[in-house]
Amino acid sequence: MNAHVPAGTRRGGHVVRILTIAAHAFTQLARMKVFHFLALFAVVAIASNFLNLPQHEGPESAGAAVLRSIKSWSLGAMTLFSVVIAVAATALLIPKDIEDRTLYTILAKPVPRIDYLAGRLLGVLLLLFVSLLAMDLLMTAVLQVRTAIVLGEQRDMAAALGWPPDAVESLLAETRAAGPGWPLQGAVAAVFVRAAVMASIALLISTFSTSTLFTTVVGLLVYFIGHFQADARDFWLQGGEAGEGAAARLASLALALVLPDFQLFNVIDAVIEGSVVPLATLGRLVLAGGYYVVLFTLASWFIFAEKEI
Amino acid sequence: MSEPVPAVEIRHLVKDFHTSFRRRPLRAVDDLSLTIRAGEVYGLIGPNGSGKSTTMKALLGLVAPTSGSCRIFGKDSLKVDSRDEVGFLPENPYFHKHLTGVETLRFYGRLCGLRGRALDDRVVELLDLVGLTDAGGRRLAGYSKGMLQRIGLAQALVQEPRLVILDEPTAGVDPVGSRGIRDLILALRDRGITVFLCSHLLEQVQEVCDHVGILCGGRIVREGRLDDLISIEDQTEIVIRRAGADLVERITALVGESPGASIVRSGRPRTTLERLFLETTTGKEGGA
Repeated sequence: MNAHVPAGTRRGGHVVRILTIAAHAFTQLARMKVFHFLALFAVVAIASNFLNLPQHEGPESAGAAVLRSIKSWSLGAMTLFSVVIAVAATALLIPKDIEDRTLYTILAKPVPRIDYLAGRLLGVLLLLFVSLLAMDLLMTAVLQVRTAIVLGEQRDMAAALGWPPDAVESLLAETRAAGPGWPLQGAVAAVFVRAAVMASIALLISTFSTSTLFTTVVGLLVYFIGHFQADARDFWLQGGEAGEGAAARLASLALALVLPDFQLFNVIDAVIEGSVVPLATLGRLVLAGGYYVVLFTLASWFIFAEKEI
Repeated sequence: MSEPVPAVEIRHLVKDFHTSFRRRPLRAVDDLSLTIRAGEVYGLIGPNGSGKSTTMKALLGLVAPTSGSCRIFGKDSLKVDSRDEVGFLPENPYFHKHLTGVETLRFYGRLCGLRGRALDDRVVELLDLVGLTDAGGRRLAGYSKGMLQRIGLAQALVQEPRLVILDEPTAGVDPVGSRGIRDLILALRDRGITVFLCSHLLEQVQEVCDHVGILCGGRIVREGRLDDLISIEDQTEIVIRRAGADLVERITALVGESPGASIVRSGRPRTTLERLFLETTTGKEGGA
């Protein structure tokens, strides 16, 4: 007997289904006015920099400090916002689909459960990407304007004090380096990778959690614990030096393998201080983030595949 | 010649649920077997908690059987490809309220592999079929319960499935909408589409179903062709239009002369409240 094939229908591949579900999740979150909150938060965080200009300092020392302050505030706001959105949005989607029974109608179509999970996660990542892009553009614009102001003030100061040209140029170069540039974009990429890891953790928790609140609280707890992951790994690598038994070392190893090392993201602080993060370091960061996202997504699938809905 | 593949084949299905409050698992479905041939309208009826929804979920692969098997057109229902040709309308569906009717159908259509012009045409066709053409651009948050049920029916039909599973399709729908859904089920049957219906509304099941299974305590207690199940073997019904008193008297006398025969009931047959409602509110005859 030949299979019935409705006109115009072709069995969609995994990619098409995942993209369809991702676009749907993105639309759902966008229509929940997530972007309104983001824009407000970004504007408040970045506008606050205008209120904190250190008027008492001379322009030669104030210039870089002002720019560092803007980067610190902006990247801090991005980190907070992206982590909260990553956890809360992911925690919301699957329980809501179960509660509203929309999951029945989706999984009653020829949709593998891994496609559903991957699509939901991708939708959140898309939201984070767009949010961070908007914040990045705003931060870069503010920095650009402020850098130009600082450079002008420094030129005026140097002219008034009669600084030699090479000293003036050195000061201006230092200020420009503290302004917008590629290292800053690398730091924003790191913020995105960290948020992506958090979203995948929230996805895993939401596959067995019974409420959005539980998922959010446990997700943020994992984020907190993740900052001690490196200490756990070091403890294991040092072995006997710590004076503990094999069981303790194994526990430390297990913790290090399954919990992301969020200290890797300290490169963001380095960028704020004006350091240039090597591309290789950024690449390793992206790879490590990718490893955790894939690990947690597969673990989510392992649980969700057996889940009775 | 081999038998055609049944649309639905459930064999010795058992489903236990483990709850934290009970030591013994709760058995929702107990050794249930049934077969639905392609093109039939099959009604599964039973009291609350009798296992109807669990049976449907097992058939759709939403829950895994504790033992036994479910097959759709010969494919194991735990496999994703068994759902290629299935449309499902859950009881009291709550679709994504942020989407419009058109967006909802496009979303489900894409999940089923529909694209481009074929998808656009299908969405227009389905909105027309369920009478939501004018409401297609509105978000579902503004839909009434009946409209939600109709958009749910449309999404179930989006990929032109050969099997449609309907869980309480007229729950919360007014009599006009309910009649529309009934007519749609009959239209699906005329097109050769198999319908597996689960409902509390026995009158509705009686109107549309060819076969019926009665579920109680997770077990099928009666099953068969509807006509066979509900006809009273030793009685015959004759309905006569414009019968005068003398004709009724003669028939009564004739029956009295026949050994063993007796008149059980006579009088004017009544219309149904549903038919009266439809004639009053829509001006159309409610149908048979």
